[in-house]
Amino acid sequence: MAIQREQLDADVLIVGAGPAGLSCALHLANLIKKHNTSGAKPELSAENIYVLEKGREIGAHQLSGAIMNPKALAELVPDFEKSAPLDTLVTDSAALLFTQKSSFRFPVTPPPFNNAGNFVISLNKLVKWLGGLVEAAGVNVFKEFGGAELIFAENGIAGVITEDKGVDKNGKPKDNYTPGYKLRAKVTVLAEGPRGSLTKQLVENQKLDNINPQTYGIGIKELWDVQPGKIKPGFVAHTLGWPLSTKMYGGGWIYGLSNNRVSIGLVVALEYADPRFDPHAAFQIWKTHPFVRNLLEGGKLVRYGAKSLPYGGWYSMPRNYVDGGLIVGDSGSFLDSQRLKGVHLAMKSGMLAAETIFEALKAGDTSARTLKLYQEKIDRSYIREELWKVRNFHQSFHNGLLDGFVLSGLQQISGGRGLIDPMHAHPGYEAYQQIYGRPAPERFKGDGKLTFDRLTDVYHSGTRHEEDQPCHLKVLDLNICSTRCVEEYGNPCQYFCPAAVYEMAKEGTGLKLKINAANCVHCKTCDIADPYQIINWTVPEGGGGPNYEGM
Amino acid sequence: MKILVVTEQRQGKWNNTSFETLVAAQQIAAATAGTITAAVVGKNVTTLAEELAAKNVAEVLAVENELLQNYTPDGYCIALKQIVESTKPDLVLFPHTYQVRDFAPKLAAMLGRGMVGDCVGFRREGEKLIFVRQMFQGKTAADVSFVGATPWFASFQSGAFRADMLEAHASGKAPVNTAKVELKAEDIRTKPLELFKEAKASVDLTQAPLIVAIGRGIKAPENIAQAEAVAKALGGEIAASRPICDEGWLPMERQIGSSGQTVAPKLYLALGISGAIQHVVGMKGSRTIVAVNKDQNAPIFEIADYGIVGDIFEIMPALTEELQKAKS
Repeated sequence: MAIQREQLDADVLIVGAGPAGLSCALHLANLIKKHNTSGAKPELSAENIYVLEKGREIGAHQLSGAIMNPKALAELVPDFEKSAPLDTLVTDSAALLFTQKSSFRFPVTPPPFNNAGNFVISLNKLVKWLGGLVEAAGVNVFKEFGGAELIFAENGIAGVITEDKGVDKNGKPKDNYTPGYKLRAKVTVLAEGPRGSLTKQLVENQKLDNINPQTYGIGIKELWDVQPGKIKPGFVAHTLGWPLSTKMYGGGWIYGLSNNRVSIGLVVALEYADPRFDPHAAFQIWKTHPFVRNLLEGGKLVRYGAKSLPYGGWYSMPRNYVDGGLIVGDSGSFLDSQRLKGVHLAMKSGMLAAETIFEALKAGDTSARTLKLYQEKIDRSYIREELWKVRNFHQSFHNGLLDGFVLSGLQQISGGRGLIDPMHAHPGYEAYQQIYGRPAPERFKGDGKLTFDRLTDVYHSGTRHEEDQPCHLKVLDLNICSTRCVEEYGNPCQYFCPAAVYEMAKEGTGLKLKINAANCVHCKTCDIADPYQIINWTVPEGGGGPNYEGM
Repeated sequence: MKILVVTEQRQGKWNNTSFETLVAAQQIAAATAGTITAAVVGKNVTTLAEELAAKNVAEVLAVENELLQNYTPDGYCIALKQIVESTKPDLVLFPHTYQVRDFAPKLAAMLGRGMVGDCVGFRREGEKLIFVRQMFQGKTAADVSFVGATPWFASFQSGAFRADMLEAHASGKAPVNTAKVELKAEDIRTKPLELFKEAKASVDLTQAPLIVAIGRGIKAPENIAQAEAVAKALGGEIAASRPICDEGWLPMERQIGSSGQTVAPKLYLALGISGAIQHVVGMKGSRTIVAVNKDQNAPIFEIADYGIVGDIFEIMPALTEELQKAKS
């Protein structure tokens, strides 16, 4: 028997309460308020804007470095400096080259690493604050509800079905079973962050891919309280080199926050050759560099987390509008991969989406015909200006750092064009080389003080899920895991997952995939980096996931 | 508006949400100048029916049948269908109980009518009767009204109305009538077995003074018996770290750690447990911790008062034997 779902109709449904989704909601609510006060018709209502957030609280799943360029926030909330939790202005930006034993500071910080005028923030705190403004504006934010399925319409979408609650491990309804709601909306905004599970469906279904596939990185972060005097608030450093090889794209960060708090992390592009490379371990090893070790000595780990990020840039941006739907923020590739900055672009994309929706609601036409205005607005905004300059940047590093410096240098002086334009990109998982029977490396364990194993780190992510629910990580063919993948790639899922979700357990003489889904920090790396593309990340029961308080 | 309230009893005991639903009915009746018939279903329910008659209702129906002694969805639906057809109410109200969730939608469907379940209130708007139900875990409320023909079916959530607001009958007592319903044994396709209460956690690990906990080191479910033997010899309870309960080798209620129970026994014997922080937070308050593990670097040794680096499969039988000797 088909499940009877409760249906609710909205003008606008936004999936995901991150910087993009909330900026869209707030900007639209502000436009509607102004419109209604002026007496213009038709009358619109901010109460008909719904936001879904799968986390327990607004901000619970927000993770970033983060350094924020405040320009979008200044447009959205002109007096933001009065109340926004911005932590501290950047006072000194350094670029450091790490070798195993030493570090060299670039005498002149290269422009992409220069952060004068930007703020060091906790994205969790900023988003929580923004969420408060959105709710105060009358928008309905439904926490602990995820978008599980899209309601497709002929050339687009008509809404979302939220996840079923109260289903047991075997898919049977429990006492508290509540079928997901069917939320129909004139415009559905996908603001799911990188590799959104609904965005993935929509891009596939409507063939929205650009000339390049999306490419991703993974960022692994720890928040530490350090001994007083170890770092100045506002000191930010980016590190290149050790422990990553010159064939890998990535680097570390050290951001000084107020009250002796430090944000540290490592970002690595998910397009490396060794399928048994372990990004979490690489980050732990990075912490043993004398520069970082000295900083953290005597300090204490406060929180841990990991999140993927879209590196692809302009040429990987999917078509971001369909009938009844828009894509904003990281889901729509609004991230500058050279400066690794996406918060302001995500917010701006949300605001431009809001302006587009406002026009569409007034005109009574929410088809792609009207919604394509969004693309026009993007093209005229600083989003295009910033992303166009670096449209070939990430692709230049396909063959390693040295080529990358040369190619991107040439782009720098030719407005982004460089030698080849557009430069093509390949899905990152295609970079894996087979293991040919090479034995597996020993797993990184950590000393429990400066470095940690993954389980200890996961504990510090505050991750929690309802235990008795179907596994939200759908592996389409478990056979491949115990046969081909063992042989060919040595089961990279055991290595790339920063939360020890995937584990190959001995069974008889072979190996069998065991999924510890309750550890999942919702970073989406598995969905991205699996060599056979058979892992499908779906939303677990709402409220599950990490608790990135202060991250 | 003619209202039929179907109350709920089991073995002569009320489900008290019934009275809350009666309050809802009284308020709807007051708002619509309506009358209330209260029905009680079962076998030998006249005493209960008399009790209802003291409330402010127009009539009480004792729906009696041998076959209604125990609840079955078929029995209740067939009986109540006849009652609805003979009394011709405009609105049929139920308390939103597990039992009602089981049969009321079926009853409504049999009669080809709509049902609004789990309401928290009602409102009259002009001629319209609006029912209010919660959505999104109470974050928002939905107004629902019936568009189809009567009778309409609705159930009210427990706690939505206050039972102490129940009005007594103005002149003392409403008439009690016994409603005959035709039921054949063969129409009832299920046979209720004996009632039972779901066993609560049969063991309260937080109260156990001695705990023997196993981890991945136990390797296979058939080896658990060896650990249980240690527990028995020690007079303690068996418990486990998460992977063991994940595999279903021991029930969830025996899981210690951040996603299980937190314990602080006098003695905690950790067998083959590595000591991941998720486990440690659930037992680090134990007075004495004894750990056995093959890996001398296992983090469990950092918090253990006594540690044995060794094979649990050698140690478990030896320990059992020694414990038994010491006892005898």
